[in-house]
Amino acid sequence: MRVVVILGRVLDPGGITVNRRVGRIFINREKYILQPADRCALEAALRIKDSADCSNPTDAEVIALPRGPLPDDDVLRQALATGADRAVYLVGSPAQADDAVMARVLAATVEQLGGADLVLTGATTLDTGQSQLGPRLAEALGWPQIVDAWAVRAAGERVEVVCQNKTGYVIHDADLPAVVTVTPGSLKPRYPDGVRLVNVYKGVGEIAAALEQWEVADLVDAEFLKPLLEQRGRDFPPMRERGARASGTVDEMAQAAADALYRRVSR
Amino acid sequence: MDFTFSPEHVALRRMIREFAENEMAPLAMELDREKRVPFETLKKMAKIGLLGVCFPQEYGGMGAGETGYCILMEELGRVCTSTAVNVGTHIGIGATVIYLDGNEAQRKKYLTPLARGEKIGAFVLTESDAGSDAAAIRTRAVRDGDHWILNGTKTFNTNGSYADILTAMAVTDPTLGARGGITAFIIESDMPGFTVGTHENKMGILGSATAELVFEDMRVPHENVLGKVGEGFISFMKTLDMGRLTLSAAALGGAEMALEMAVRWAKTRKQFGVELAHKQSVQWMIADMATEIEALRSLIYRVAWMVDTGQPFSQLAAMCKVYGSEIASRAIDMALQIHGGLGFTRDFPIERAFRDARISEIFEGTSEIQRFVIASNIFREHGVRIRP
Amino acid sequence: MDTSYLDLLMAQQEEVAEEATGGGGVWVVADVADGAVASVTLEAIGTARTLADSLGAYVYGVLLGEGITDLAPTLYQAGADGVRVADHPALAQLALEPYQKVLADLFEAEQPEVVIFGATAQGQELAPRLAQALGGGLIEHVTAVSLDESTRTVQAAFPIYGGEYFEIVACPEARPQFLTIEPDAFPAPFIDSYRKGEPTLLDVEPVAPSVRVVGEAEGFEPPVVPLAQAPVIVAAGRQAGDLELVKQLATALDGRVAGDRGARDAGWIEAEQIVDVRGVTVAPEVYVAVGIRGDTFHNAAIEEAQFILAIHPDPDAPIFEMADLCLEAEPQEIVPVLLELLG
Repeated sequence: MRVVVILGRVLDPGGITVNRRVGRIFINREKYILQPADRCALEAALRIKDSADCSNPTDAEVIALPRGPLPDDDVLRQALATGADRAVYLVGSPAQADDAVMARVLAATVEQLGGADLVLTGATTLDTGQSQLGPRLAEALGWPQIVDAWAVRAAGERVEVVCQNKTGYVIHDADLPAVVTVTPGSLKPRYPDGVRLVNVYKGVGEIAAALEQWEVADLVDAEFLKPLLEQRGRDFPPMRERGARASGTVDEMAQAAADALYRRVSR
Repeated sequence: MDFTFSPEHVALRRMIREFAENEMAPLAMELDREKRVPFETLKKMAKIGLLGVCFPQEYGGMGAGETGYCILMEELGRVCTSTAVNVGTHIGIGATVIYLDGNEAQRKKYLTPLARGEKIGAFVLTESDAGSDAAAIRTRAVRDGDHWILNGTKTFNTNGSYADILTAMAVTDPTLGARGGITAFIIESDMPGFTVGTHENKMGILGSATAELVFEDMRVPHENVLGKVGEGFISFMKTLDMGRLTLSAAALGGAEMALEMAVRWAKTRKQFGVELAHKQSVQWMIADMATEIEALRSLIYRVAWMVDTGQPFSQLAAMCKVYGSEIASRAIDMALQIHGGLGFTRDFPIERAFRDARISEIFEGTSEIQRFVIASNIFREHGVRIRP
Repeated sequence: MDTSYLDLLMAQQEEVAEEATGGGGVWVVADVADGAVASVTLEAIGTARTLADSLGAYVYGVLLGEGITDLAPTLYQAGADGVRVADHPALAQLALEPYQKVLADLFEAEQPEVVIFGATAQGQELAPRLAQALGGGLIEHVTAVSLDESTRTVQAAFPIYGGEYFEIVACPEARPQFLTIEPDAFPAPFIDSYRKGEPTLLDVEPVAPSVRVVGEAEGFEPPVVPLAQAPVIVAAGRQAGDLELVKQLATALDGRVAGDRGARDAGWIEAEQIVDVRGVTVAPEVYVAVGIRGDTFHNAAIEEAQFILAIHPDPDAPIFEMADLCLEAEPQEIVPVLLELLG
């Protein structure tokens, strides 16, 4: 059972202040965290490996790949420290590579690895709120997809996923190989193992050799590395006005409250 | 001079900070209220290797060195001093004494399970008559064939009430005193003759267990003598030297948290129409706290580097301890003042930090002893020998 | 009054909208919910109309499902010029491969400039796969659009960090440009009941879905979210009168029940539910304070709340200085009305 996990990083929103009045973003503390949904995906992969280990210890393998262009391999080292068996750091992606580009690059990487049984990644990104990488990659690989998983079980030829619908939680399944995206907050991610962590970051021992570096140019032709999307600007929400009083009768005030709540809560 | 932390230490700190915030912070107030040791947290820490952070990997440790250990204590001290004391006692004195002076067999048998967190360690020295004057202990060890018989009572012992492996100091030759008369023994808690006595009712660090330990005709095999017979005093001096560095790292963490809380409150709390952050008296308190914290941090990690590179560090470690414990108390006191009445209520963490911090000027060598160590090192360089 | 001239005018308006072929256009893939066209689809058509008018293009709607041909008129009335319908038993439930096949074949033939989905389960599953297959760009969860007319490119804004600010992104060259739009972010269009058209029925080649629904997840419990991280909180204060209405409101909003110290003193909540710097500090997306006066220590604990609704009878209650929307009313009077409006 080979499980590929795709992880990315994001700027910690706690270190950012948005000034709506002047329309500027201030980064007070530049600290990066792993995408929370991707951490849940890694946890799902490691749980599959844990359960597979009972039956056949050599059979389960977790390989970490990057979600997007990264300036250094720290994300992958974190994955190795947490329990991934191998990781591949991709160099040479254009800085603006978007999900369309990464889907091709990652599909080529999976093929270059010799295929996989299951690809796991986060269902959504903390910053941009985009869910497209998983499905794009599934299309590029030509595999089935199950999105927004709350729990993942994979064995033999099938993957079984707990999903949420309007009435509660249901189980979907599909034949492997498949792509599954994991909901943030669905699983409590484990902590890295201390010995693995020290060795990965010191670059000693077997674990350090498990981090490989590949050139994107070897995987995908340059014409496919051009991003499809480009940034055109930013917009800011209106200034927060505290103390706005609803006016009128009780019914009118309740209507104003219902409108405000409905917009924010109904999903 | 490269003052940056190496990548494994940066990664280690990040991991421990998350662990402390998720696993320890929610329990800190509860531990204090219920006066209980967080066994579940210790188990979780053992699982990821934190209870052996500084020991070499060949002995089941993590191999992150003294720097890694200071990082651990700093991050724990930020969140829960009680847990930091449990861990610091286990690693810094309980296991370290075996690492420093144990033979290979003892390291394999005792250090490895301690480093893996499979067993918990303690260091047993203090008696009612022997606090700062550690050499005045009266617990007696008498040779009987291939065993030693230990008799005596130890007071104010941390971890000893639940530890599995304890290293205790006993007098083997009453005529020789510190020079040749004291021996270190590795004890296992299930040895007949070992009893846990009364638990102390403390002012702070209520999540750590402090108790009397009683040895009554306790038989300890000769192979459990740590180091050489009669050289126990040297063992414990070396161990306490190392322990005081990491304890000051815990104090650093406590001071940092006090500063963070004070800043957050100063941003929020408005009086006389303006946030406290705009009041000079508060600004100066914050500046003073921050300056002392930076100074302590630089000192601690420089000494950690000296330990990791095999340089002498005893005098500087004493400076870390006395300075760290005192600035932490000062910082927490200022943070309490900034919070006003809120800081005085038990539903808010500052008063616990205030009570927890006080002990660090006393245990692991009082501030007076630290000052003596510092002064005695300085005067010795000038040819003058002074006594405590 | 002789209305025959008016009738004549109306009859002329009832022309069938020109079913233009030859590619291009702004396409909307309709969401069907409970046997009706979802409101996000109508909003999408309204947006498509605006874009199409500037582009000089047509608006097309696509309906997929079983027994949904009768919904085609709704799309015309909302502003679609053409509607394609794939009505087949194999499409009765949303399933990836059957839906994707229909749309992929359709879009390969029609070569849309823009394709809009609702940001729903359908949009989330289909839009990225179609975009990848057809080489198009995709922007999800769009809340506002504008048109760069010189390059016929849609500039779409979407929220960052849950709405702290918005990025505006465009897909200048690749076509189609795919968007998924947030429900309730765009205005509902004018429904012109005289607008009619003749939908084109598509041939559907049934394709087997690869994902199977196995059944209920028996005994599955999602992880418990601590109060400090709960996204919606309804909190009671003394003026709430009792906890009953607060509990009902929490259920209606799928949120958690909490309170201030007063609620605890009244015995309505546990100590772990107290929102206060001396209790739990919270950071929800929505915080509803029912009958909470709002002292400093409570208010400091809700500073990170994104939207605060406060209900209290006293106009001078300090909570009103913090709240985004203030209702000066008795909780016992207004909360029942609010509950009815929320359905």
